[in-house]
Amino acid sequence: MQPQRLTVYIVDDDASVRDSLALMLGLSGYSTALFADAEAFLAAWQPQWSGCVVADLRLPGRTGIELQAELRARASSLPFVIITAHGDVPTARTAFQAAAVDFLEKPFDHAQLRAAIESAFSMEGRRLQRAAEAARLAVLTAREREVLEHAAQGLHAKEIAARLRISPRTVEVHKTRIMQKLGVRNVAELVRFALSSEGGK
Amino acid sequence: MSPLKYVRDALVFAPCYVALDWASYIDPVGPFNITPWNPQAALAIVWMLLGGVQHVPVVLATIIAADTIVRHAPGGYFITLFTSVTLAGGYAALAWILRSLLADLGLRSSRQLTVFVGVVLAGTAIVGAAFVGVLRGANLLADTPLPNAWLRFWIGDAVGILVTAPLLLAAADRERRTGMLALARRRETLVQALVLAATVWLIFFGLGGDPGHHFYALFVPLIWIAARGGMNGAIVATAIVQLGVVAGIHAESMPDLPVPEIQALVAALTLTGLYLGMMVDERERAAESLRQTLRLAAAGDMAGAIAHELNQPLTALSNYGQSALMLLSRGDAAQLPVVIGRMLDESQRASEVVRRLRDFFRAGTTRLEPLQAAELEGAVRSIAQQIIGARPVALEVLSDPELPALFVDRMQIELVLRNLVANAVEALEKDGPPDKRIRVRLHSPDPQHVSVIIADSGPGLKADMLERVFEPFVSGKPTGMGLGLAISRAIAEAHGGALEARPAAHGEFHLVLPCSHSA
Repeated sequence: MQPQRLTVYIVDDDASVRDSLALMLGLSGYSTALFADAEAFLAAWQPQWSGCVVADLRLPGRTGIELQAELRARASSLPFVIITAHGDVPTARTAFQAAAVDFLEKPFDHAQLRAAIESAFSMEGRRLQRAAEAARLAVLTAREREVLEHAAQGLHAKEIAARLRISPRTVEVHKTRIMQKLGVRNVAELVRFALSSEGGK
Repeated sequence: MSPLKYVRDALVFAPCYVALDWASYIDPVGPFNITPWNPQAALAIVWMLLGGVQHVPVVLATIIAADTIVRHAPGGYFITLFTSVTLAGGYAALAWILRSLLADLGLRSSRQLTVFVGVVLAGTAIVGAAFVGVLRGANLLADTPLPNAWLRFWIGDAVGILVTAPLLLAAADRERRTGMLALARRRETLVQALVLAATVWLIFFGLGGDPGHHFYALFVPLIWIAARGGMNGAIVATAIVQLGVVAGIHAESMPDLPVPEIQALVAALTLTGLYLGMMVDERERAAESLRQTLRLAAAGDMAGAIAHELNQPLTALSNYGQSALMLLSRGDAAQLPVVIGRMLDESQRASEVVRRLRDFFRAGTTRLEPLQAAELEGAVRSIAQQIIGARPVALEVLSDPELPALFVDRMQIELVLRNLVANAVEALEKDGPPDKRIRVRLHSPDPQHVSVIIADSGPGLKADMLERVFEPFVSGKPTGMGLGLAISRAIAEAHGGALEARPAAHGEFHLVLPCSHSA
């Protein structure tokens, strides 16, 4: 399954900062989207957007941190990198309380920004993977899910059969169907999948 | 200390001490040095305060010499030796205690003054008791009640030290010396000195009767002097009063003048003057340190604004530079000219910020120039539009026809206007009404002034906040130092204008500025 393309959403009221960021990040291989303020971003926002928001702290209207709060209220977990030309401690503290990935003071280092975006992207990557796995698990029937849970505990077909009070042969049929549905090739992979999806619950 | 300097100091001190003892030998008890005025005690103590207690042998020798010269050693040389040892030891102990308790000898805080006064009052009481005790032990004070003799000695030494020591210490202190010289150059000081001298004359001669009855009149000029001149004024004024009182006592024809009572009044007057002067000084210092804080805070606000203004183009420059490097490394030269062009634009923008900054600091010193009302109107409009930006706030700028030209520092007035408009916008944003309006009106309340009235449709200030908002560090905003309005009012007042908040159901500030033909 192909992962969704991650995008850097830049929200800054300074046209030059916006333009230069887009150019630099574009050349670094990121896809970018630009917004002059929080309202413009919210107007365009779609629930399936994934990637990272790089927002200026002081924007006309809603601030970068208020934008983050609004997105959380809309159940979006898009990670935020807050940038500001006023590097003051109280706002930095608010940003961290609001769980921004990073708080960068303008002018920032190119490497710092990339590191922040990369860490945001890896958070997003994990989130997307978990979502995909949850989606795949959803295609299993209740009985198949029970079989998978027991298999994940390392039980053999006979033991599973005894516990679920079905014949070992039926267990084998369920297993084969589960492997077909989840697209895994052998039992070891099936167990790994079951473990990772449990860990991600 | 070199022996030469020791001897030289002694040669200055000794004659002065003897002369003061001679001049202040008034109204004694019997033939002894128990008088209600002993300024020479202050001289001995201050000398040892400044030079150290190693001068005590000279002090002892001088006291013996003075008693011999001024009073011909009235109890015999043995008694003179005894009383002189008592005095020299007592004064040395006082000097030593004061030296170890006082941080510096300029008496610069109420606490230091209290230490000084307390040590002097207690110390002179003990020295007086010892002195009177020695004489009584030799059966020399048989016909005077002991408490009377002791009280007279105590009052004399205490008043002598309280009045004279601060003056001598001030003369030895560079800061106080320059302060006193500055006071002496004020015309008001001459008037004050004349009033003081006239009051002393009235008390002793003009009004007749017991000078003690009218002594209270001296408190009035003393309070005036201390309130205006602080500690320096009070020190000199009490010395003048003491000299006047002594002159009055000498010239007064009344034979049974109650000198100790008058001197007790001088002591009360002196304490009042010194404490009042100290409070005035301390208040002045507090106000000065607040002004200093205000200047620093204004500079801090400014530095923050500058950092923000400069950081934007610098960020863009750095991003474009990084992009140019990446383009170069992948051999893509086609886009480079565009990127470099933008870098040049950004450095232009940064240098624009620096130029504006230079203008601001030039404006730091007030430079008054005529400003046409139309220019002011234009400035208000552009500042307000810039601050309002994309916010849904309606702006209306009205100007009465044919307003006179102003005489102001344009840069500073723009700073004030920026502040007032920014406050109005914030008031509308915070708990704003649905209908967000800012209305600026320029009109001329009288031919000498132009008013700029900045009104917003916000909720306005509560009555108790109308004046408080101008106090530093009072802010209605969660962020901000609460200095904007304090600085703005200071600027308006420096122009001979005013800035006030008006009681209204909406927010309204009046900025009054002087016109060019009124200045």
